[in-house]
Amino acid sequence: MGGTEVILSAGIDIGTSTTKIVISRLSLRNTAGQTHMPRIEITDTEVIYESPIFRTPLKGDTSIDMAQVEDLISREYKNAGVEPGDIQTGAVIITGETATKSNAREMIDRLSAHAGEFLVATAGPDLEGIIAAKGSGAYALSRKTNKTVANIDIGGGTANTAVYKHGNLLGTCTLHVGGKLVEFENGTVSYTAPAVDQLAEEHNWNLEKGESISREILKELAGCMEKAVTGMLKGTMKESPLLIGQPPEWKEDIDIIMFSGGVAECIYNEENCKEKGMYDDIGTTLAEVLRNSSELGGFEWRVPDETVRATVLGAGTQTTEISGSTIQVDEGTLPLRNIPVAEFRFSGEWKEDMDRLDNFLEQALTLYDPEREGNAFAVYFDDIPLLGFKTIQELGDRLAELYSKYHINTPLIIVMERDLAKSLGQSLHIRHKEMEIVCIDQIRVENGDYIDVSTPLNSEVVPVVIKTLTFHGGEEE
Amino acid sequence: MMDRQLVEEVTRMVVERMGEKKPEARARLWIHNDKAPSYKAVGQEREEEEVGGKAKLSPFPKTEKSPSSRTEETEEDSGDLKELIKKTSARIGVGRAGVRPKTKTWLKFRYDHAAAVDAVFGQVDGSLLETLDLFTVRTKVTDQDTYIRRPDYGRRLSEEGEEKVRDACRKRPSVQIIVSDGLSSKAVDENLEDVYLSLNQSLEALGIETGTPFYIDKGRVAVMDHVGEILEPDVVCLLVGERPGLVSAESMSAYLCYRPRIGTIESERQVVSNIHRGGTPPVEAGAYLGSVIEKILDYGASGVELVKKEG
Repeated sequence: MGGTEVILSAGIDIGTSTTKIVISRLSLRNTAGQTHMPRIEITDTEVIYESPIFRTPLKGDTSIDMAQVEDLISREYKNAGVEPGDIQTGAVIITGETATKSNAREMIDRLSAHAGEFLVATAGPDLEGIIAAKGSGAYALSRKTNKTVANIDIGGGTANTAVYKHGNLLGTCTLHVGGKLVEFENGTVSYTAPAVDQLAEEHNWNLEKGESISREILKELAGCMEKAVTGMLKGTMKESPLLIGQPPEWKEDIDIIMFSGGVAECIYNEENCKEKGMYDDIGTTLAEVLRNSSELGGFEWRVPDETVRATVLGAGTQTTEISGSTIQVDEGTLPLRNIPVAEFRFSGEWKEDMDRLDNFLEQALTLYDPEREGNAFAVYFDDIPLLGFKTIQELGDRLAELYSKYHINTPLIIVMERDLAKSLGQSLHIRHKEMEIVCIDQIRVENGDYIDVSTPLNSEVVPVVIKTLTFHGGEEE
Repeated sequence: MMDRQLVEEVTRMVVERMGEKKPEARARLWIHNDKAPSYKAVGQEREEEEVGGKAKLSPFPKTEKSPSSRTEETEEDSGDLKELIKKTSARIGVGRAGVRPKTKTWLKFRYDHAAAVDAVFGQVDGSLLETLDLFTVRTKVTDQDTYIRRPDYGRRLSEEGEEKVRDACRKRPSVQIIVSDGLSSKAVDENLEDVYLSLNQSLEALGIETGTPFYIDKGRVAVMDHVGEILEPDVVCLLVGERPGLVSAESMSAYLCYRPRIGTIESERQVVSNIHRGGTPPVEAGAYLGSVIEKILDYGASGVELVKKEG
């Protein structure tokens, strides 16, 4: 009860242009007073190994070279002195354009088998922006001040922005703004992204493959990107070929901006970047334009804790959540991976809610296990009222009844935010011994999220990674 | 007698001068009936909670906000204030009327205070004890004033109480559950059923047998030592009403002790506190208590001793 428990967490970021790995140590402690029920939290994170920055191994334009990535990871594990089996939690983030490259999903499956029995998350651009903001320190800054902080993570393919105030996420936005949207080889253009082609057509730029590079056109293109970033931050952006998905949805004015990602390194450390000449692409030009932008100068600038490694650090240290300490889990059932979440919202009308559960489960079943192949799903109880003993039993009985009615033979997985998991789990366990139950609390998820649940730690909590599996582009399906 | 004309003349002069320019104040005074007060009541935006109880309030006319650019600032400020308010149950950001709290705030405060007093001086609902099949014994306390003034009386069962316990209860159970109103009868009314049923279920699941439970009227925590002396259980679990405060008058604690006897020192007791609807949910507390009791039985120790043995 008193001591600190330590777990190892791995973060692996496979981006459009670079791949990085960090191994960190997370310390867990009971932060509740001696007279209260324990509340286990991650109290300290310490990075024990940082890999160099590698070029992401690709096969051709569209696919990741999986064998090479696996080699790279096992080599780095050796350098760090850890075995895949030592890793208890963490996340693999496949970011930017890589996520839309054809084999990203396959990659995830293979990595989860090779990189250890740990939790694997994949990023859609929203999650990527959020993770980068946590790794760069923007999230932490927003908790310390009353300012609205935007973190703009500019990598190879996309710029992912997350806006925070008081530690609350106000919104995310993704743009086709990145260093590798135009690539060079021996002074000529070797690759342009489709979004750039569209702009080139509009502006009559000659960016054909094999053409020699024109500084003016590059500056104009970077200028377009800068306008998109500014428009997004100021909320004036409407339609733009550079916008991916939804336009920004936050209403607050942004006070502080921070850049992370590969391009950010060139924004803050100009000399450093030019010397290396590591990136044979539009990245340095883009950094220069952003740095000198008078519009962006209107915001307060802060230097992030991490630039290139923000995402991988976020992935390694900030993606794991810890469940409540009073939960009920059948250990044989864990770990669980890639469990889709079906949200059931309580309306406050108890009888009606109990009736509605039937329909809800039937729908969830049609959605997540239509062929009845035994694909488990989790039920998230949102707005669950403060239940008494008898109502808890009633809820448990109702769930058991419906699970048998629909012959659901996957484990009953229940997630909720309110601290009621142990009492509900216990009621189910006692009254319906045949059921496999995983009932956890103090975790907040949303409809459509996926969760990974790891095996219980000594302090009786389970690490949970919540992820959003939205790959953009849709061409991989 | 002054000339009427002269009076009028002087009056007009005075009025004119007053109109010309207001004397500059050295200290800025807040004029309570000024239509456009220069201060702003922080927390104006905060939704006023309905004051509980029977007092009905007539709605107050809402003051118009000054239609200047300050409005936006106010909203922003209150956003920050809301963040602070979320972090505490203390009465912050409730605004004021002059130097006093607003009527609603004041009534809420009085109501909470009265609820606390009622909780101390109230009686536990007898039908609840009946439903849960708990018989009642008394301590040496005869009336509420004595209870407050003589804590030592609340730590011993009365002679007839002791006799009744000897007659009615099974001796040497693993776990003896007892309940007392302590300083809040309301805590028992509100939480006992859920905590008690959930605790029993959890002990049953763990295969831990329990003795004959009962209710002690006007008991203090250390009354468990006396019960331990009489029945010699391995663990006593006392569910007792906590001293009420202004945040909650219905908070319950569960005190646990391994083999308590008269003379047991406080460090050997263990407590799970803050059990109420706004704190630890009662049913969850009950489910959790089962596992704590299991641990106490496993280690044969409670309180500081248990922490030591756990290492």
